[in-house]
Amino acid sequence: MPSYVIRRILLLIPTVFFAISFLFFLFFTLPGDPANLIAGGFNRTPDPGVVQRAKERYDLDKPLPVQFVHYWERTLKWDLGESYKNRRSVNDILGEHAVNSLRLGIWAILIEVVVGIGVGLIAALRRYSLSDKITTVVTAGMSALPVFVLGFVLQYAFAVYPHKHAWPEWLTLRTQGLGPDSWAFFFIPTGEQWRYLILPAVTLASVSTALAARMMRGSMLEVLRADYMRTARAKGLDERSIIVKHGLRNALIPVVTLIGIDFGTVIGVAVLTETVFSWPGLGSEIASSVTSRDLPVLLGLTLTVVLAYAIINLLVDLSYAFFDPRIRLGEGGEK
Amino acid sequence: MPKRDRSIVARLLALLAVLAFVAAACGGSSDKNSDASGGTKDTTASDKTGGEIVDLGTFQGDPPEHIDPGLNSTLDAYQVINELYDGLTDIDASDPANPKIKPLVAESYKSNADATVWTFKIRKDAVFSNGEAVLPSSFQRAWERASNKDFAGDYSYLFNFLKGGKEKLDGTATTISGINADDATRTLTVTLAKPYSNFDAVAGFQIFFPMPKAVEALKDQKDWENQLMIGNGPYKLAAPRTSEQIELVRNDKWGGDVLGNKTAILDKVTFKVSKDVDTAYNAFEAGEGDTANIPPGRVDEAKQNYGTTLDVNILGSYHYDVNQNDPSIGGAKNLKLRQAFSLALNRDEINKAVYDSSRTVSTGVTPPGIPGFKKDLCDYCKYDPTQAKKLVAEWKAAGNKQSGPIKIQINADNGHEPVVAIFVDNLKAVGIDAVVDPRPTETYFSSLAKGACVVCRAGWFADYPTYDNFMYDLFHKDAIGGNNYSQFDNAQFNSLVDEAKQTVDKDKQAQLFQQAEKVLLDDVGVIPLLWYRGDYVYNNKKFTNFEQTNFGLILWDQIKLK
Repeated sequence: MPSYVIRRILLLIPTVFFAISFLFFLFFTLPGDPANLIAGGFNRTPDPGVVQRAKERYDLDKPLPVQFVHYWERTLKWDLGESYKNRRSVNDILGEHAVNSLRLGIWAILIEVVVGIGVGLIAALRRYSLSDKITTVVTAGMSALPVFVLGFVLQYAFAVYPHKHAWPEWLTLRTQGLGPDSWAFFFIPTGEQWRYLILPAVTLASVSTALAARMMRGSMLEVLRADYMRTARAKGLDERSIIVKHGLRNALIPVVTLIGIDFGTVIGVAVLTETVFSWPGLGSEIASSVTSRDLPVLLGLTLTVVLAYAIINLLVDLSYAFFDPRIRLGEGGEK
Repeated sequence: MPKRDRSIVARLLALLAVLAFVAAACGGSSDKNSDASGGTKDTTASDKTGGEIVDLGTFQGDPPEHIDPGLNSTLDAYQVINELYDGLTDIDASDPANPKIKPLVAESYKSNADATVWTFKIRKDAVFSNGEAVLPSSFQRAWERASNKDFAGDYSYLFNFLKGGKEKLDGTATTISGINADDATRTLTVTLAKPYSNFDAVAGFQIFFPMPKAVEALKDQKDWENQLMIGNGPYKLAAPRTSEQIELVRNDKWGGDVLGNKTAILDKVTFKVSKDVDTAYNAFEAGEGDTANIPPGRVDEAKQNYGTTLDVNILGSYHYDVNQNDPSIGGAKNLKLRQAFSLALNRDEINKAVYDSSRTVSTGVTPPGIPGFKKDLCDYCKYDPTQAKKLVAEWKAAGNKQSGPIKIQINADNGHEPVVAIFVDNLKAVGIDAVVDPRPTETYFSSLAKGACVVCRAGWFADYPTYDNFMYDLFHKDAIGGNNYSQFDNAQFNSLVDEAKQTVDKDKQAQLFQQAEKVLLDDVGVIPLLWYRGDYVYNNKKFTNFEQTNFGLILWDQIKLK
């Protein structure tokens, strides 16, 4: 097991190197000369002197391989460079946005875990009941609803409408950005903060929660039919421990995989939710760095997301062994 | 000066805005905002200072790239910078039809007879918010900093106006030779590279704002805007800017403005960054802020329920350049075709259908509010399909025919598609075959500068209120390869503009510029379409005196609580 973990961690190095290098070269195939755009070329023809100075400032006058080597020299020292757009240090930008993404992501995943697994489980245990049917219909609807539609409707229903109808302030949720108050234990909102968090967290969690619920239901139904469940019942175990110890634990494996992948997704690519709620996270920052051709921000933030994905995947793989003791990681193939 | 285009998501959400609007309409008559009388001024407003405004209308999409006056090039961030800094001169736009340049941090200024040497006398009481005196050397410090090769921002080319500015920008000189700052006599003498009679207007532009001594202590100048920047304007930063907001508080050491105001009224102005124009409007409606930008399709609703600045003419033009070298439409032989093109366009319909009539139909390129402006300079800007048909027939009779449809270029996905769709219909009606040619935004302007324009979408917001900012920067032969996408090179036009730039007498100067613009318009080097108007909506139950100047700047320091 430890050697498995070490091997997986070592594998991270080429993964990250190739992903980021690929992105580096891909960037230069995008239309538009970066120096021209830095100098204001999105809206007018910039002064040639200004373009030249931008090239010199950002190494863009050097051949691409030289820029590439310089980039990795800096990156290995964890100096992610300076944003072309606002000249801020990418390390600072990353620090601010990663924290926000992580907080929102944690809440989205908590909703997914509690609501998704809970609803899916109940639906499976009460198969064909009214609540099961409602779950099926609602989750199908939710997973098909575009995030920005849901976000927009929620904003209207829980912020604009209550405000216009003079509901008490604490019942009116917020639609934009972060609240003024701090966070306890890194991710628990205090004071006003929760009013800012609820709508983006629910919106971000919506699709994945619906999918998790559907998967949980399907997986649990399959497990309920398994021979070992019948055996457990025959042994006279009480229903509760049959469901929890034998059923749930087995049924959770595919759901955990899904949630693990989702965690990477909600942190790195929650572009639409972050845009609709002006949540200053990584996803929208990466998206805007592409459109504004801000290479250092694009690479620096993507590097972090790639790392986060890889680490979360590793944790998910490790968790299989916990859920199913038959899985022994890193002990060779079939005999 | 460019105003940022809104994001793609913004346009997706525009659709949803309509949905939300329907929902709002179904919301019932108990809507407590719908009984507001909208836009009327409250005469009982108190003159007391105090209060706070939260703005959601200025920054949509991304936070401002720069709030350092030496680096910024957008109108959005100028809203903040203009509250943080005061320049040598400012524009008194209290009569919008006739804005005047007045001394601000300078108590007086004058130029020599040929407008090559400008002398500014700095006010004795001018101080930065930290108490440091604003001296001629404060300006010199700022200008040397902003023209530094390693720092220089998008507008640094303006230092080419100054003697020795070019050398400084190139890096071949370490200082600008044309600046002489004498702190003892509080005199700043500026020698220009060429005569320029409108330098007093340019000298009030952001890149020429003064800088305190504190900038010299910085290891890296780029850090200035990310810390507690010190300025001399009506407000000062309450905290370093973040990606989410910029907070300003009143600067009690402010010296007043050109209108005679001596103090900023509100205690605090907070600019919040929204990622999207539609959701920012939602937030405004939910009471999270006091102002917003009016999203497309919600103009009437905004006018009905709140106060707006829709009646303010902004010094900006939305027009289409016509490439004079293009065989399909340029040159003397195609003059009648160009004139017919311009006459065929139904500008009123475009304004109504695409912009909810929130803009003004142009009668020239240079907008009202620019000193020297004259109405109706354009003979071919009215809608006259009959005359257009006649001109097309005459053009054909002279042996010409279209070898293919005329290409009309736009930067794709920035909201220009419906405008050109109307163009194509209008042109078809008079017998001209045209087609839209959408191009990626990233390479749009650079390709136009290289001559790719046939008939191409362009627009311009005045950097400073001068006629030459439209004529020289957009249509003079010196701007070919730059912003002269028409490749317009007309000897009569060039010499009129050159002469006007050096003419000190303002009336004579205005006449020369008008003559030049007439030459441009008669030759259809450009097809004027619309002039911009204000696009802010604000909570008029809470605030009064919410004024937008025709530069697009809100006078944040003069807004009052009701």
